[in-house]
Amino acid sequence: MKTRIALALVFGLFLPLLAERAIGADDRWRNLSPREKDRVQRNYQRWKSLPPRDKEHLREEWNRYQRLPKDQQDRLRQRYNDQRRDRRED
Amino acid sequence: MTNRMQGLESACKEYEEDLVLHYYGENSEDDRRRIAQHLSACERCRVFVDDLRRVLPQMAKAEEMPQSFWDSYYRETVAKLAEQEERKYWWRSWLTPVRGWMVPAFGTLAGTVLVVGLLFGKGNLGSFVERPSRNIPQEITADSNQLEFFSTMDLLESLDKLEQQDGTQSELQKTHSSRVTLYKGIA
Repeated sequence: MKTRIALALVFGLFLPLLAERAIGADDRWRNLSPREKDRVQRNYQRWKSLPPRDKEHLREEWNRYQRLPKDQQDRLRQRYNDQRRDRRED
Repeated sequence: MTNRMQGLESACKEYEEDLVLHYYGENSEDDRRRIAQHLSACERCRVFVDDLRRVLPQMAKAEEMPQSFWDSYYRETVAKLAEQEERKYWWRSWLTPVRGWMVPAFGTLAGTVLVVGLLFGKGNLGSFVERPSRNIPQEITADSNQLEFFSTMDLLESLDKLEQQDGTQSELQKTHSSRVTLYKGIA
């Protein structure tokens, strides 16, 4: 009985957290511009077709990127966007 | 009912049905004569007929209803049938206001709105009519971290290169600032 109560409490606390994350993702998706949505969809399709090794590499890069300081993240993103814009203009 | 029936004495088997008909006066003249003859000779059948006279009127007695009951009964039945009909075709009430002159009026209004929308939208129907939301895969919306990952994925693929460029630029900036300091020192 005690185990059941403990499990119910754990899930009771855990589920709202999961729901909050999912709702957050939904809101964030709605707030994306059509171009950003396109990019996310394209990347997702590409991700599905990647070999497992590349997927793993990308996950590692993602973890590394998240560990970078915020200002460096912003700088890299800015640089990436600039380069992409330049490529498009060329 | 059972108690009442228990009061009936049994008659001669072959006369039982005829005796009931005799009681109601529904048998032929010959039968009536034959039964009367039998009754004068048979005590059991006489008792049976007496019992029929006693019991049957009680069984057939119907409850008398006042006239007012029958008046309201008809009205209530009609009202209940109408209510049932209304419940069955509830959607008709929605169409009632759209009947008559409103149908062409609504059609004209819808057509006008469409034409104005197309003219002012410069043929861009997408800006005029909101597009339905796309089917988003569950993997993307599972949590905000996933969404962030997929929107940053192309950046991640060139993360190494971007970091190198960032590092080179930082070095260049450092060299530039040290040269400026050195130049200022000499001057």
